[in-house]
Amino acid sequence: METLASLFSLALLASAVRLTVPVLLAALGAVFSERGGVINIGLEGIMIMGTFFGAVGTYYGGPVVGLLAAVAAGVVFSAVHGLLAITLRVDQIISGVVLNMLAVGLARFLNIMLFGVATQSPGIRGFTPLSIPVLRDIPALKPIAAGISPLIPLALALVVAGHWVLVRTTFGLRLRAVGENPLAADTVGVNVFLMRYLGVLISGALAGMAGAYLSIEQGRGYLEGMTQGRGFIALAAMIFGNWWPVGALGASALFGYFDALSLRVVALNVPYQFLNVLPHIVTILVLAGFVRRARPPAADGIPYAKEEQG
Amino acid sequence: MKPAAGRRLKPGLRPGLSPRWRLWLLQVLAPLLAILFGALVASVIILFIGKDPLAVYGLMLRFSLTRPDSIASILFKATPLIFAGLAVAMSFRAALWNIGVEGQYYVGALCAALVAFGVKGLPVVVHLPLTLLAAVAGGMAWALLPIVLKLRRGAHEVITTIMMNHIAAAVLLYLLADVLRDPAQAGTPRVRTPVFEPTALVPSLRPLLDAVGFRIPGYSSLNWLLPAGLLLAGLLYLFLTRTRFGYEVRAVALNPDAAEAAGIRIARVQFLMFLLSGGIAGLVGLNDVLGFFGYLDIDFPKGLGFLGISVALLAKNNPLGVILAALLIGFLDRGAQGVQVFAGVPREVITILQAVIILAIVVAYELLTRYVRVLRKREAERAAPPAAPSGTLAAAAPGGPGPGGGG
Repeated sequence: METLASLFSLALLASAVRLTVPVLLAALGAVFSERGGVINIGLEGIMIMGTFFGAVGTYYGGPVVGLLAAVAAGVVFSAVHGLLAITLRVDQIISGVVLNMLAVGLARFLNIMLFGVATQSPGIRGFTPLSIPVLRDIPALKPIAAGISPLIPLALALVVAGHWVLVRTTFGLRLRAVGENPLAADTVGVNVFLMRYLGVLISGALAGMAGAYLSIEQGRGYLEGMTQGRGFIALAAMIFGNWWPVGALGASALFGYFDALSLRVVALNVPYQFLNVLPHIVTILVLAGFVRRARPPAADGIPYAKEEQG
Repeated sequence: MKPAAGRRLKPGLRPGLSPRWRLWLLQVLAPLLAILFGALVASVIILFIGKDPLAVYGLMLRFSLTRPDSIASILFKATPLIFAGLAVAMSFRAALWNIGVEGQYYVGALCAALVAFGVKGLPVVVHLPLTLLAAVAGGMAWALLPIVLKLRRGAHEVITTIMMNHIAAAVLLYLLADVLRDPAQAGTPRVRTPVFEPTALVPSLRPLLDAVGFRIPGYSSLNWLLPAGLLLAGLLYLFLTRTRFGYEVRAVALNPDAAEAAGIRIARVQFLMFLLSGGIAGLVGLNDVLGFFGYLDIDFPKGLGFLGISVALLAKNNPLGVILAALLIGFLDRGAQGVQVFAGVPREVITILQAVIILAIVVAYELLTRYVRVLRKREAERAAPPAAPSGTLAAAAPGGPGPGGGG
């Protein structure tokens, strides 16, 4: 009975929310990239850059600077992916895989240059946590009403905004058109390359922010390997969420819950590794159409070459 | 820098060359230019930290190529990379993305370990082959699900193999920590299997090397997996270029529609090539596990599967090229140790150099492929008005369909 109660405790819920945010932000980024037709396997590498520059910025100028530095780093790094995958039409998978390798070496090198060691930065102070005025005084609700990172409401707001942009705005419509049928979009005067670049750069900004959340808010410093493959989990969440921001939110929340559960599973008699791989198993099942049909953008992953059409 | 290919640099690009020769020359020049570009980028970084790039590269070359212990280290490091590169290349050849070599070799190593410490009392000639077979079976088993789901249900193998990598890591961790852990190590921080039977270990290459007069240092674990890898590369080269099945593989990668029209069963070819890829992947970890440690520890070398992707890209999926690419990565790795110890340059500079080389080579091959396409088109237009099928260069990187596509 006690075990069952612990599965739904508020402390667990709060932990689940904290673990949801980084996956959610990167998944939201992945949605923008793939809606425009560019697969971004390099999200993991971009997140690594985000964790590092988030910590560096915070160390020298406080958390706001850190957040901006991480976003900027994510944009720059994803621009390399754009250059390779969109302009030079190198295979998108290859470009992403290589960026992931580059990120690991780059973060280690820069960390040595700045802090003398390869694997971690000095400790930093994060954002001042928020708390909800009345609720925080009720002892039972304290785990969820106090100590809230300001990035959590920001992430949720970005999901809503992202959904609105994709569904309601001209930009969103054009981005999706470019991901579904670039030739048709091109014929009606949409700049395919510009749209795809914007999608990729937005994904870089959001994945950078996801990294910043990890190093500024959760780790209170950069630590090598702190992304723990969350860039790939984010791709999984995007797929499970059927390439929509709100869907990605649902999937990220589910994965965050598994993650939180695996940290306190001692009471459950299940190996925690099993809970850790649940998101991966779910993703395979979704991709195979066992849960429901996965429907990616039609031109996802296919480079667009203007001069070779027709 | 690249040990064997450096000599070919001499002939310049003369305008009078026939297209065929020009193409061949470009193919050889592309990797060399990529290496040069990588070295240039790394030079900027080295200058930035206040060292002399030429001195650093000189030291790197001298340290890596003139010391017997360095040569032994490069060869030892290159051994698993040959297997990993071949595994990745076999899937790329069939227009499939096996990003799952990483997980497949964890499972291969695990299966090999089970046979190596679990089965007792067999002679070497039975036990060692059985252990290798277990590794191949493990790698294949881990590759089975992604390819079946790809061919039957259209699940994109890039994502499923990445997911399988994470699952393999979790399974390995669980089994090593909770099930297979050596009881003798209880109470220590060591998480590893019991020590393997000596009959399951891969013999050292030392007796042979001593016999031919090449002295390697006493601690080197260079073993028979190196010649095995070279042999495998040679066999795969013949298999792909000289057999009917190899021809079918090329047809599938080059033009699936034409291949299907010619009666080639694409799904069968892709299924077999993916399992071949997984089977070879199963062998990647053995150089360390059976050739060096003699037990499977939770900290056994990881990341070789991803390095295999680099190797295959550098080699343009050519099995013989894989050998050179694996040696290059081994050389860079050893050189990184050298510059770190003797020049005070962080070895991460070499990691960056490596990534830039791969990036440059990928771009170079892409531009080359496009150039070839233009050449062919021009030739076809000159020869006959009706356009030939727009084929790309034979071994170009595969263009996989988007996720969920195909099937």
